[in-house]
Amino acid sequence: MTAHLARRTAQMLLVVYGVVTLTFITVRLVPGDPARLMEPPGTPETIIQLVRQQIGTDKPLHVQYGDFLAGLPRGDLGKSFRGGRPVGELIAAYLPNTLLLGIVAMAVATALASIIGIGAALRRNSVVDRAALFLVAVAQSTPNFWLGVMLVLVFAVQLRWLPAIDMSGPESFVLPVATLAVTLLPLLVRTVRQSFIDALGDDHVRAARARGIPEHRVLLIHVLKVASLPLVTLVGLQAGFVLGGSVVVESIFNWPGIGTLALKAIQDRDFPMIQGTVLVIAIVFTLVNFVVDLVYAALDPRIRY
Amino acid sequence: MSAPDARASAGRRLTVFLLARKSTLAGLALFAVVTLAAAFAPVLSPYDPLEQDLNRVLLPPAWADGGSAAHPLGTDPLGRDLASRMLWGARLSLLISVASVLLGGGLGFIVGIVTGYFGGWLDAVLMRIGDVQLAFPFVLLAIAVLGVSPERTPAQLIGVLGLTTWIVYARVVRSRVLSEREKDYVRAARALGASSARVLLRYVLPNVWQVAPVIGMLYLGFFVIVESLLSFLALGLTPPTPSWGSILADGRQFMMVTPWMPIFPGLAILLTVLSINLVADGMADYFDPKLMKGYAPRHPLPPRMAIASDKVLAVRDLTTVFRLGAGVLTAVNRVSFELGSGQVLGIVGESGSGKSVLALSIIQLLDAPGAVTEGEIVFLGKDLARVSNAEMTGLRGRRIGMIFQNAGSSLNPVLTVGYQLVETLRQHLRLNSEAARTKAREALEMVGIGDPDRVLRAYPFQLSGGMQQRVMIALAMSVQPALLIADEPTTALDVTTQAQLLERLDELRRELGTSVIFITHDIALLADFADVVMVMYAGQVCEIGPRGRVIREPRHPYTQGLLNSVSRVRAPGTNRLSAIPGDPPDPMHPSTGCPFAPRCAYAMAVCREVNPARTGVGPGHEAACHLLTSTPEAVAGGGTS
Amino acid sequence: MAFLEVRDLRKYFPVRRGLLGRTVGWIRAVDGVSLTLDEGETLGLVGESGCGKSTLVQTILFLERPTSGEIRFLDRRVTERDVRELRRRIQVVFQDPYTSLPPRMRVADIVADPLRIHGHADEATITAKVRALLQEVGLPWDRRHQYPFQFSGGQRQRIGIARALAIDPSLVLADEAVSALDVSVQAQILNLFRDLQERHHLTYIFVSHDLGVVRYMSRRIAVMYVGKIVELAPSEDLSARPLHPYTRALLSAVPSLERRRERIRLRGEPPKPTDPPSGCAFHPRCPIAQAICARDVPELREWLPGRYAACHFALAEGPGADAAAPRTAQGGAP
Repeated sequence: MTAHLARRTAQMLLVVYGVVTLTFITVRLVPGDPARLMEPPGTPETIIQLVRQQIGTDKPLHVQYGDFLAGLPRGDLGKSFRGGRPVGELIAAYLPNTLLLGIVAMAVATALASIIGIGAALRRNSVVDRAALFLVAVAQSTPNFWLGVMLVLVFAVQLRWLPAIDMSGPESFVLPVATLAVTLLPLLVRTVRQSFIDALGDDHVRAARARGIPEHRVLLIHVLKVASLPLVTLVGLQAGFVLGGSVVVESIFNWPGIGTLALKAIQDRDFPMIQGTVLVIAIVFTLVNFVVDLVYAALDPRIRY
Repeated sequence: MSAPDARASAGRRLTVFLLARKSTLAGLALFAVVTLAAAFAPVLSPYDPLEQDLNRVLLPPAWADGGSAAHPLGTDPLGRDLASRMLWGARLSLLISVASVLLGGGLGFIVGIVTGYFGGWLDAVLMRIGDVQLAFPFVLLAIAVLGVSPERTPAQLIGVLGLTTWIVYARVVRSRVLSEREKDYVRAARALGASSARVLLRYVLPNVWQVAPVIGMLYLGFFVIVESLLSFLALGLTPPTPSWGSILADGRQFMMVTPWMPIFPGLAILLTVLSINLVADGMADYFDPKLMKGYAPRHPLPPRMAIASDKVLAVRDLTTVFRLGAGVLTAVNRVSFELGSGQVLGIVGESGSGKSVLALSIIQLLDAPGAVTEGEIVFLGKDLARVSNAEMTGLRGRRIGMIFQNAGSSLNPVLTVGYQLVETLRQHLRLNSEAARTKAREALEMVGIGDPDRVLRAYPFQLSGGMQQRVMIALAMSVQPALLIADEPTTALDVTTQAQLLERLDELRRELGTSVIFITHDIALLADFADVVMVMYAGQVCEIGPRGRVIREPRHPYTQGLLNSVSRVRAPGTNRLSAIPGDPPDPMHPSTGCPFAPRCAYAMAVCREVNPARTGVGPGHEAACHLLTSTPEAVAGGGTS
Repeated sequence: MAFLEVRDLRKYFPVRRGLLGRTVGWIRAVDGVSLTLDEGETLGLVGESGCGKSTLVQTILFLERPTSGEIRFLDRRVTERDVRELRRRIQVVFQDPYTSLPPRMRVADIVADPLRIHGHADEATITAKVRALLQEVGLPWDRRHQYPFQFSGGQRQRIGIARALAIDPSLVLADEAVSALDVSVQAQILNLFRDLQERHHLTYIFVSHDLGVVRYMSRRIAVMYVGKIVELAPSEDLSARPLHPYTRALLSAVPSLERRRERIRLRGEPPKPTDPPSGCAFHPRCPIAQAICARDVPELREWLPGRYAACHFALAEGPGADAAAPRTAQGGAP
């Protein structure tokens, strides 16, 4: 287990380093001069020059890269072009809201998907199974930004049951969580269903039945333990949807999270902020998958040894 | 069959598949409609999508109050015709998505093939870059790159969507290539002296490309959503280019006034993506049909009085069928036998003879869609085909134990050996965990495992095949069942391990007085082990009798052929083996008459018409062959070579 | 002139572990094997799973690159550069008829491809040759456009044999070629191999875990254990009076229709190839092991004319001892 942990940690650190570098490069690959893009057209060259100095793009690339790396351990991601507040500080304030929304949505989606997926697997090819699969196909085809808009239209504008935007009480979670959960559900349901069906067909399940293990134990221990493995991996990948999708959902519901921050930065061409938010989201995603890997290893001895 | 025929059969397979999959057919039809609408947008649109008319802004659709047929879906805040913008939106959306799929898929496919087949440093570098790229949530990456670009043309969009997804194709294709590369047919091609290019193009490629279009279809649907999303966030194509996303964004802004407006683009996206996903699902299943294996729910036969028997097990006229789409397959056909206390019944047969299905019928654990349809399985006075499910669960493992061919997959891979043993012992013997643990250790010692404590803590994959099978025997025998069913328990093992294991099993069943059904394809194994030998062919018993008689005086031509086929161990070198010609029968196409007739050297006219009944040929010795009822001498004379 | 000669051939696979995939050990799959093969003979190669017999076959054809050692074909040393020519003269028939044929290629193409690879003539000649080959292995010509999955296991193995014979090789390596087949079909295929040998003057190396199969096919038999040949002898001698205790155990473990025999019971299991025992690899399981066996690796020596064994006590019980007689550990066993 320690060897596995060490190997995974090293791999994770390598990926984080790659993420840092790729973020740095991507932001600088944009055609044009950030300083000029920031300012309205027709700004005199002298002012542009000053802006360049201020944001540091006048220095050679490798110096910029060095400065960027040196700042990271201190959480220094530079200062926002708009308002001049440290990027790190703003992200620290907004990130927890995103995580809270994401965790609630994933918990709801996973719980629902387990019920639907296992139900469908146990009654394979029945009406229940077909209905579940059809709903999954529809959900998979529904654009979540449209769904968000429609939910607001129906529940907030027409029925006035729920708040349309902003993070306030628990009821403000309902619509954003529903929007995210519908996006997450299809893949989860398919995975749960398929891995349950696969596990039910395994030789060792038949062998357990042949040993007279009662059906509830066969399902709850022998099948579930094996079938849950693909689900664990998927939850890690889903974190990517949640984090990446936060840009969309948060903009629709005006949620004070990192997605809102990122979108605003993109619209403002606030380069340090774009760089900071993208980087933090990618690192959080990497960390989530690192934890998922460890959980997987804890569940599956074949990985551990 | 000639070449065009083969091609026609592929076409027929597709037709049959589509007709059976209504959802795929519906998806295809819907997708065709969307594609046609997109292709003919310039013709179909009543207006120029960019033409503004500020006198006619936010008109409702034709069917609503104040709508007019001139603008079937109404107009937007700038007075542009919504129907036209929707059609042009479809055109751009599909164009961008298809092009992105081709770019990303093409790039990823080539990278996957090359890195998978050649490996090396290029593989290492590209895959690490891919790891890093995958660490970025896709949507975010696309938004970030596009968001900071000053101008956004379709080509840019295609570039970003394509380049951010190549790694997914590359990974999947690569892993497929890796697994194909190790298969014997690729080795065989290399052994023929084929060049790398030839191996790759003629051997590997035809077996891996199928994954790419499936991923491509899934991405096509996803890209349609992402393109709209980007426009919705004002990060897509530079306005005023029509896009479903920007129509939706407008609709959202005027939601209070024109609640219908966000519905059109949303439905258009939903239906387009749904059609694409349905086709993708169909494609996945067409290219890679999933075999649905698994346990069939057991339905006891209607109760009736079982005929009493003093035997441990009395099977009469047992018939097991599988109801498949293509017809009914009779896997076990009116099999009867008896097994006395402490006796060993050896069942021998080739693949498809029904021997394993017979075993699973007895313990009532048939795979779907199998079911016992007839006959009795009287075990200790109870008919197993008719007892309740609860009673059957109580008998399994407690009174009837079973061990399987592949011990490795018959143990739960994520539970320790100790857990599985203790669980079983506690289930049947009502022990506390302490006592169960002690008993588990004894059980492992009983099957000749020298270090039971290590094995108890081990996971199955940490044990060798021989050890795993010992554990299986311990699991089955520790509760001292009256009957043990062993289905090819040593087939997967080396001969020296097989010999050790069989010896131990033989001692154990003598000590415990267990009756055993031992199933094997190797009749020689039974010579040391079985009291009674039963030979099966095509689901039927063709010969049954005391071991000595069946092996030394086989009466059925199939038994004789089987014995001749294995006699090479004794008679090395010059003597030519007398082989049974032909192949084992196809259970989907049973012949009328004797199933062995097509391969039988003595087959007569009657053999092809009438299935022979079992007749007695000696004490406890029966065989099902027409030769025995017509001219017994013919068999005796021509049998042994 | 030796037809094929293998000299001190080794194939080690690295065992990688840790962060950087450091090589922490070697699997000695083939560990110093020497063999000589005469033209037209059949050499049987028998051993249990993991003993290295399949790797040996792959290495002879350079499907695996040898770690060290020499392969000489018709008295010429074969190098990586001669591989194409080598593979024209030597062919393989694989074990699994389900995976050894390309699943999406028609039978006619499968059999014709070797001819195309080696630049044989025009399509008409190729078609004629394919027709002759299919007929020779007993496959109906009118099924040539079908795919492998449409054939039974035995028929698929016939296709594999036709493919191997297409370019008229002189040596055929049969790697567990009948192990996956039903008993009744095995006999047909073995007879086919024999007929083809006679007709085409083929030389065979017949690899199997099944001593019966090997004995039926071969004039001489080599027994492998943990990467080494432990005994090499003419078939009759090997069956009648094996010199190596492992061969004796193997023989006694083969199920037989004949009288019940006392079996030689081996202790334990075959060793892990990553961590073979010191000295003679068989000593921990050997019923006659002495102290020296744990220390010194026994050489493969010619103890009797034409009969080689790698055992310190190959003649321990003198000539005439019954092959199947049980041997008990007599003192000195650790």
